Amino acid sequence: MTIPPLTPVLTDNWDAERSWTLASYEERGGYDALDTAFAMTPDEVIAAVKDSGLRGRGGAGFPTGMKWGFIPQDNPNPKYLVVNADESEPGTCKDIPLMMASPHTLVEGVILAAYAIRANHAFIYVRGEVLHVVRRLQRAVQEAYLAGHLGANIHGSGYQLDLVVHAGAGAYICGEETALLDSLEGRRGQPRLRPPFPAVAGLYASPTVINNVESIASVPAIIRNGADWFSSLGTEKSKGFVIYSLSGHVTRPGQYEAPLGITLRELIDLAGGVREGHRLKFWTPGGSSTPLLTDEHLDMPLDYEAVGAAGSMLGTRALQIFDETVSVVRCVLRWTEFYKHESCGKCTPCREGTWWLVQTLTRIDEGKGEPGDIEKLLDLCDNILGRSFCALGDGATSPITSAIKYFRSEFEDGMTTPSRELFPHERSTAYAGQLAGKGVGA
Amino acid sequence: MTTTPERTATDLVTVTIDGVSVDVPKDTLVIRAAEQVGVQIPRFCDHPLLAPVGACRQCLVDVPDAGNGRALPKPQASCTLPVADGMVVNTQLTSGVADKAQQGVMELLLINHPLDCPVCDKGGECPLQNQAMSNGRGDSRFEGVKRTFPKPIHLSPQVLLDRERCIVCQRCTRFAEEVAGDPFISLVERGARQQIGIAEDAPFLSYFAGNTIQICPVGALTSEAYRFRSRPFDLVSSPGVAEHDACGAAIRVDHRRGKVMRRLSGDDPEVNEEWISDKDRFAFRYLTATDRLPYPQVRGDDGVLHPASWPEAFAVAARGLATARAAGGVGVLTGGRLTFEDAYAYSVFARVALGTNDVDFRARPHSDEETGFLGAHVAASGPVAGRRGVTYGDLEGARTVVLVGLEPEDEAGTIFLRLRKASRKGTTVLSVAPYLTRGADKVRALLVPTAPGEEGAVLRGLADRAEELAGSALGDQDVVLVGERLATSPGALTAAAELAAATGARLAWVPRRAGDRGAVEAGCLPTLLPGGRPVADASARVDAAAAWGVGSLPETPGRDAAAIAAAAAAGELAGLVVGGVDPDDTTDPATTRAALAAASFVVSLELRASEVTEHADVVLPIAPVTDKAGSFVTWEGRVRPFDAVFTVPGSLPDLRVLAGIAEELGTPLGFRTVDEARDQIEALGTWDGERPAAPVPAPAAPPAAHPASGGVVLALSTWRQLLDGGSLQDGDDALTQTRRPAVARLGQTAYDALGAPAEVTLHGDRGTLTLPVEVVRTMVDGVVWVPARSVGRGLLADLAGPGARLRVTAGGAL
Amino acid sequence: MSSPHEPQPDEAQPSFTTQLKEQLWDPVAGFGVTFRTMFRKVVTEEYPKVKKPTAPRFHGRHQLNRYPDGLEKCIGCELCAWACPADAIYVEGAQNTEDERYSPGERYGAVYQINYLRCILCGLCIEACPTRALTMTNFYELADDNREALIYEKSELLAPLLPGMEQPPHAMLLGEDEGDYYRGMFAPPPGDRAAAPTSTPETSSATPPAPRTARKAAR
Repeated sequence: MTIPPLTPVLTDNWDAERSWTLASYEERGGYDALDTAFAMTPDEVIAAVKDSGLRGRGGAGFPTGMKWGFIPQDNPNPKYLVVNADESEPGTCKDIPLMMASPHTLVEGVILAAYAIRANHAFIYVRGEVLHVVRRLQRAVQEAYLAGHLGANIHGSGYQLDLVVHAGAGAYICGEETALLDSLEGRRGQPRLRPPFPAVAGLYASPTVINNVESIASVPAIIRNGADWFSSLGTEKSKGFVIYSLSGHVTRPGQYEAPLGITLRELIDLAGGVREGHRLKFWTPGGSSTPLLTDEHLDMPLDYEAVGAAGSMLGTRALQIFDETVSVVRCVLRWTEFYKHESCGKCTPCREGTWWLVQTLTRIDEGKGEPGDIEKLLDLCDNILGRSFCALGDGATSPITSAIKYFRSEFEDGMTTPSRELFPHERSTAYAGQLAGKGVGA
Repeated sequence: MTTTPERTATDLVTVTIDGVSVDVPKDTLVIRAAEQVGVQIPRFCDHPLLAPVGACRQCLVDVPDAGNGRALPKPQASCTLPVADGMVVNTQLTSGVADKAQQGVMELLLINHPLDCPVCDKGGECPLQNQAMSNGRGDSRFEGVKRTFPKPIHLSPQVLLDRERCIVCQRCTRFAEEVAGDPFISLVERGARQQIGIAEDAPFLSYFAGNTIQICPVGALTSEAYRFRSRPFDLVSSPGVAEHDACGAAIRVDHRRGKVMRRLSGDDPEVNEEWISDKDRFAFRYLTATDRLPYPQVRGDDGVLHPASWPEAFAVAARGLATARAAGGVGVLTGGRLTFEDAYAYSVFARVALGTNDVDFRARPHSDEETGFLGAHVAASGPVAGRRGVTYGDLEGARTVVLVGLEPEDEAGTIFLRLRKASRKGTTVLSVAPYLTRGADKVRALLVPTAPGEEGAVLRGLADRAEELAGSALGDQDVVLVGERLATSPGALTAAAELAAATGARLAWVPRRAGDRGAVEAGCLPTLLPGGRPVADASARVDAAAAWGVGSLPETPGRDAAAIAAAAAAGELAGLVVGGVDPDDTTDPATTRAALAAASFVVSLELRASEVTEHADVVLPIAPVTDKAGSFVTWEGRVRPFDAVFTVPGSLPDLRVLAGIAEELGTPLGFRTVDEARDQIEALGTWDGERPAAPVPAPAAPPAAHPASGGVVLALSTWRQLLDGGSLQDGDDALTQTRRPAVARLGQTAYDALGAPAEVTLHGDRGTLTLPVEVVRTMVDGVVWVPARSVGRGLLADLAGPGARLRVTAGGAL
Repeated sequence: MSSPHEPQPDEAQPSFTTQLKEQLWDPVAGFGVTFRTMFRKVVTEEYPKVKKPTAPRFHGRHQLNRYPDGLEKCIGCELCAWACPADAIYVEGAQNTEDERYSPGERYGAVYQINYLRCILCGLCIEACPTRALTMTNFYELADDNREALIYEKSELLAPLLPGMEQPPHAMLLGEDEGDYYRGMFAPPPGDRAAAPTSTPETSSATPPAPRTARKAAR
């Protein structure tokens, strides 16, 4: 097995001394892409991003350049750019390290994107719990202002941009773009009715582009190196490089940047393999709301199309690796508890459905399941999937239906035996080896 | 849905719903289009008068063709999905997918619902109950633990919330925000614990809060007034018309065993849509007040009132009135609660039986200028006279609406709601007032700062300033609404009429009470006969005399209400017939009291024992609105007829009582029943001759300030709040508690000049009053605002007369 | 059919045995039923001297039941009134307060009337009752000499207070909240309370209800 070539672009400067500072970033050619872009017209910038084939990195994979092109330039209202940095999905951890290690990559991307859509105000909506990231971003924005990368007449181009870092208040739903807009406007964060779409009436009822952190952070490299360079990476329909976040039972969990289309087997090899002495049981390709996959999918290329064909979604490339010590029932229960806690309450299927799912799953987890519970779970998921207002409800059902699909017998065991007996918790922990030595683990 | 003029011409698109093809206007929601073909899609959050939200997901339908040949992948919420040409929709009737989706959502809705239908006020009329039966599963598969909350919390003294029943459809919060403009309730918490809540120190004190109870699709919102009082299947519903203001809101009276249990809003798209004020909804306990007069009473030689039979009371009243008529004359004072037909009876009774034009319905400050204005611009206008008037629809379609001497939120709730709706669609509201009230702010009104008494001058300049203020010059699309309070501002009504004439804007007079507009039409004015006929016009008199079968009618215009009171107090008038007048409402309560005491013979037609019945020689109990048929005429001139809710043989309407007395006097009125009165009114018709010209008012001298020393001198601005000390609001404690507190509103200048006091004392020529202070940024300098009837007997009795200047000092009374 | 004019042998000449039977046996035989019955068990019921028990599920007069601490089970929901095909029941609900509690939970039946002039004792009301507050006793003596007396008030319909019961209004004695009552999650009333003197005299027998005379006296 050959180690595949890694292509550090976004993560290229993460190992630099104090990589988050402006000095460190500029040393490696940071903010140079601005001058390249200002020499182009905004429409040319949009065209370049379109040509590059960059697709949204927030989960849905919508072409970024096309999204920018939807902004009606004849609308008299101001245009806004909003960066969705409300990364809260279980397992997803790519934006926060990126903003932590290299906030200026994002700031530069924001300036380029705002210039392209002709916005003079941009917002970065950061998850409120990650205070350290908020501070680092705020400092980066301040540095950028002082250095003339933000504010009036950036780099003497006459272009003016103000960037605000806004901290959320701890709600997963605010990662949904319209709920994010409501929250940003100071309201209760709940998804809005569409249409009108944000491109027409978003923030303050004005045309708004909402992009994921990684999408925006990819833009400087595209401008710097050209659309052709970008589209040469990745697969035919999924172009470019992305950050794969490996977590769970791998030897070296962390961020692995690679072109789209790499396989999990290659990534696990990069990460030093599955935990010593164990084997892969199941994994999620893009966070907990994407249907989970098993070891039979190890050699599937991780791009939008292939993962979709396997019945899952590439999502945020949050690869959570679980070995055979993990009870899939308990894992799904924990995720479902998360969705129950984070359901905004606006629509019935998600609000009430997650409440019910947790109760039924808890019973199965405790070995008190009853005949028909599995069918009930599947039917409940069917009643939630596609019936809820936004994708949160859909996401809540994915782990359950996929888990039952691949591991039905474990759910059936839940009719009689608690998952704790079949899969003692301790064996999944990082200190399982020590416990086993003491004879505690089973 | 509301029909507004501009919606008539719209593009039609064709959709197929359950195999039935139907043409509906573009942008119609699928759920409404389905109603057109008779398909009822279950729904909770959807309400035709609120913006779609798509929260409950109950109305899911299958869309195999979105109009572009492609199917929509998931079931769609039909309450948020606009139709498209060629769209095919399958509802639960023809689509298994839709049916399963609906049953699934219903099952989910019920898992956390307590199913305490037997104790729930909504049980029996509950959309959740009904739709669970029609579109739900027979049983639940949920055997877990339901979410519970402690039992009801008070959102306001009147409105209670049972949180576990709530399905968070957001109808109430959307109503509060979109329609009433009082977003005091909001969603709090999230997930299954999401609930409706209020801020700790801000209860849901909206004048329209009761509507949320009515539109709640479950029993989550209940009223203190109706909680546990009865069950819907035990109630009989009768349509009615609200008697508390001149808006003519349609209501539904629910009653049991001859007692009104509750009142709900009726559904009249042209008038009140589906909304009524809390006063219309909850103020009905006066009907069952313990001081309701049970039978006629006649004052004996011992000076005490004794029960009497109706014939006896008629005879005694007729004898006394005949004597008084001979001894100097009889004046007729009526109040605001009269129906059109009753007012007509008073009008005829005065002319035919008493031979006088001394009749006036204005139990409130009034002026000669107003008398002229009513004759020239109000009487015989609008649909009541077969003419086109200003309507609610016109308010909605207007570019600009000018409000003068009118605070719609307090004085005409339905107008307020309609103006709010209009303003959200782009109508500009100009409020000619001393300060920007919260109500005016809610209709996004622009303030034209005007001190009391200056309205005339401001209106005269408004034609030139309108474009600068409102963005467009006044024209025939625009409406000027003048309130009855303008009578106390010399020259204002005349100026309003001139403004309308000069710009083409349409003018409407908005009285506060339900019976006032009808009383104008009925001729309860010293200068007007029914149908807008001027008393001074000989042919008008001949018209009326012929209809009434009398030879001639009194020629000289009579005295107005204030003059009648003064004349009676001075002994010039020997008798008084008083119907529903509270002395404290009149221009000068002291004079009115003196008149009642001085008049040798007083006949009182009253509902409840009052100050007038104390002085009366004959007390005749009359039927409340629930016991009689009749009609109210709205400010638009729209006739709003209603039938009796109860059949109570001994409960006679005013017109029957007056007919009885008139027959004893030997001058029958020609009718005894409401139907007969209506026939006579119709036969008489409307005056089509020349309208009397409004007299040009003499400029009034500015009133002198109260001579007390110290403090500052401020002009008094006042009006009655919607909920105040009015006697028709008696009996509902919860309603009383939702009143807005009485405060004195001052501008910053006066407040600073007084040394920033917490409360001020107002000194007027009739008394002093101490009230807490509220500073209003927009208040015109030199003005203080005080609610007219929220403290004690009201300002007219306890503080000062209309248009007064007060001396205001800091702190409590000395 | 034979013609009536055609002579018949028996008609013309009755036989001797026939004559004997008609003249001697038949008059005695007519008493056969009487004699036979004289030796059988008497079926006549000696009502009102002797009152025969009804069938156990006989639909007799209604009763409004209580919880073991005396609180009323009726919640004033009016479902019985709604179910009644004869419109014989009238109920008005009202709200319990902390100071004045008649039933667990929020609501109780403040007015409860059954008009036995109308009642057809069909039992639909007790099927409708969601709390089993309304049941039927076997008492059937529902007659009176005036109409008013046949409209039974709540005080007459309520089950008598058994030992351990306390006359409402009083607080919930058996559980923390109404849920404990509805789910039957309460211990039997403590014996010491049954022995303690209560504010009202306890009635020893549950059914049949108080006799008519007592009812009249109570009015």
